[in-house]
Amino acid sequence: MRSRRGVLGEGARIVWRRQRVLWWAFAVNLLLALLGTIPTAAALGKILDRSLASGALVDRFDVPTFAELAMSPARPFHVASAALFPLLFFAFMLFFEGGVLTVYRADRKFTTAEFFEACGRFFWRFFRLLILFLIAIVPVLIFNRVTKSWSDRLAVDSPNALLGFWVQVVTTLIALLLLMAVRLWFDMAQARIVVEDERAVRKALWPALKLTLRRFPWLFGMYFEISLAAWAGLVASFWVWVKWVRPEWVGVTFLLTQGFLLFWLGTRFWQRASEIVWYLRHAAPPSNNIP
Amino acid sequence: MTEVRLGGTRGTGTDAGWDPKHFGAIEVLSFAVSGMGELTKQIQFVQPDDGNTDDHTVFQVRLPKPVLPGEHVEFRIRFHDHLPEVVARTGYKRDFFIVAQWFPKVGVWWHDGWNCHQFHSTSEFFADFGTYVVRVTVPANYVLGATGDVTAIQTNPNGTKTVTFQGEDIHDFSWTASPDFHLIEDSWQGSAGEVKIHLLMSPGHLRQAGRYLQSLKGTLAMFDRWYGPYPYDRITLVDPPNGVGEAGGMEYPTLITGGSTWWEPKGLRDIEIVTEHEFGHQYWYGMVATNEFEEAWMDEGINSYTEAKIMDALYGKGKSAIDFLGATASDADFLRVEYLLLPDTDPMTHYAYRFMNSQAYGGITYGKTATVLLTLEGLIGEETMRRAMQTYFLRYRFTHPTGEDFLKTIEEVSGRDLRWYFDQAVYGTNILDYEILDLRSDRADWYERYPPLTKQGETLYKDTVVVHRKGDFVFPVEVEMRFDDGTGVREQWDGRDRWTRFTYLKKAKLLSAEVDPAHKVRLDKDLFNNSLTAETDRRATRKLSTYWLFVWQFAAQLLAWAV
Repeated sequence: MRSRRGVLGEGARIVWRRQRVLWWAFAVNLLLALLGTIPTAAALGKILDRSLASGALVDRFDVPTFAELAMSPARPFHVASAALFPLLFFAFMLFFEGGVLTVYRADRKFTTAEFFEACGRFFWRFFRLLILFLIAIVPVLIFNRVTKSWSDRLAVDSPNALLGFWVQVVTTLIALLLLMAVRLWFDMAQARIVVEDERAVRKALWPALKLTLRRFPWLFGMYFEISLAAWAGLVASFWVWVKWVRPEWVGVTFLLTQGFLLFWLGTRFWQRASEIVWYLRHAAPPSNNIP
Repeated sequence: MTEVRLGGTRGTGTDAGWDPKHFGAIEVLSFAVSGMGELTKQIQFVQPDDGNTDDHTVFQVRLPKPVLPGEHVEFRIRFHDHLPEVVARTGYKRDFFIVAQWFPKVGVWWHDGWNCHQFHSTSEFFADFGTYVVRVTVPANYVLGATGDVTAIQTNPNGTKTVTFQGEDIHDFSWTASPDFHLIEDSWQGSAGEVKIHLLMSPGHLRQAGRYLQSLKGTLAMFDRWYGPYPYDRITLVDPPNGVGEAGGMEYPTLITGGSTWWEPKGLRDIEIVTEHEFGHQYWYGMVATNEFEEAWMDEGINSYTEAKIMDALYGKGKSAIDFLGATASDADFLRVEYLLLPDTDPMTHYAYRFMNSQAYGGITYGKTATVLLTLEGLIGEETMRRAMQTYFLRYRFTHPTGEDFLKTIEEVSGRDLRWYFDQAVYGTNILDYEILDLRSDRADWYERYPPLTKQGETLYKDTVVVHRKGDFVFPVEVEMRFDDGTGVREQWDGRDRWTRFTYLKKAKLLSAEVDPAHKVRLDKDLFNNSLTAETDRRATRKLSTYWLFVWQFAAQLLAWAV
């Protein structure tokens, strides 16, 4: 436990010391979302900005008013344009991740050129890894689908109202933990690719799996603790928002949500940094140099 | 099924396919008439609604001799029931039974003819009043609930029991049984005497029993106070078990079904709304007993209106449906949203099975009728409307009135000719939509080459507001103008022209103009264009944009977890 705390602590310190990459990722996340929000904000503005009826959405959140707004012929909520943005961010992170891991592995300040050179170097390798990851999670998704239909059937067929619900909760948790285990394995493969400049992506997966399985409880516990912190942050932010933020305090809501999103993104970076630290301490050859 | 496939169904979808487990039927084995003998072979299926010869839901039998005035005749009908797995509020699931629409019903002799419609996917029913004596035999461990009062319980040697129920002045009979029901007894004292409350709770939902009782007693009290006494001495409220949502939210004489889940928080008032709604049917469906095939709005619609009124009275205006985590909603507003989904496909007076589809049936019969009556209330006043509803109930209970009887009662009590409103709102499909098209404040001396500097309170303005009737529904409206010196003015407009202009010469600029400032005209299709302000206020836009931004940022981060 003590050594896990050490790795987690060192991971957190690296995220803190190299916070520039986190801020960049967050800024891109925000910027792209802002772009995706512009059409909706413009359409909402046309309906709401000069209407007294908008008051029902300012000092409270009146659900029927919101429903009427969503149903209005102008269709102000532009889902298609907004949905494009997460895909762009996904592509961005696929590119960005190689640079982030290289920075964490070296734990020093990179020039812009160095950083983007690292991003570019690992992009295709991470792209191939992504395809393998999508294949690897198929059994988990099938498990989730099967157990979902099972719990749905129980929810309807069982006289016990709670049975279906609890089966759903437990199986969803299992599916999430399985997903996290697969992610842990592929993060390990990414760490290996970056630390050892491994070019054969499929070849990197096997030792990564062996490494992951060899210290699975330890590594899984590390990821689990960070995930727990992320979810606790979500619950705490929601609680603060419901309890303390008045409906008309839009600025505070904005700051709170952005603070939470930065924290959430930070916990993912924390997992990556901790895994790099662990890999360097326990798996990397001693002669390994910064690429 | 043809109707279901054409226009959907009101259920949750279990009957949308051809799953045999959802088939139900009543098979008439024999039909005899005292003094006239066995007439089973005289049974002839008829299709008064659509001529579909495959439809065997209505039959007629011509008697060998007429029944003369003052004579009576006795029928003996043997039939066999095939219950479906619960669908459309009847059937079984595991060991739970809700047994409704389970016996052959006699048509209603109404307006000098037999009124008897086929079974339709969207329609409810119509039957005449009578006395029902029903003996139900079930395993001894079953808990029973039914229309009417228990008059006898007999334990049988084969491990069963036979319970006899009797109900008077009712037009239908249904019953429910389950070994798992938890019976909660309570009572309520009304102006017509004590009413026993039997709440049959499913074990998984026991924690919601208090909400059922609070809503039911509150509703009993409000109906008693506003519309008239509840004359029966019992009401049975059934909480269907898990997975039997299709049995929930239905009314039968002195027996109603609710619907709950173990987790539903108090701020989400589904349990209360359904309980209120189904009890309200005891008045409009149960006692007034209108023809639901031909004038569905007379029951479901009027009942939705009283539901909105009573939910507001019991749980507070603006939050009678939702008051949870900062989100609010009133029941009346939800009914309005239901109406807005398909506002102009059919008039309210269409036969239930002739609406464009089930969504139009639901939206217009429930949502539009409630909204039409709430708007009417704004027109004639809340107190007058309440007196009209009370007069209608007390005058027409146990008589099967028509829509015209209802509308004439409102005109009579209000002392106003409201035909212009009924023609558009009840019989028509007109859309009501007013907007403030333009609002401007021009300096009165705009033509001066060198006008004096603008000074608040001294500069003279020509203030202009243009109001536009976008829809084809003509309705007199009030328009309120607010000025920057703190004053305001309210104008009346009959709405007959497509637009009108209000002009003022004032030492103040216009701040805002609003059609229907008291928010009485709930039929207005678009409330956002009812007002226009001189200045923009971006707070609502910013708030919603912030939520929207967060949702997509978070979604993006979750997606990026895969890399």
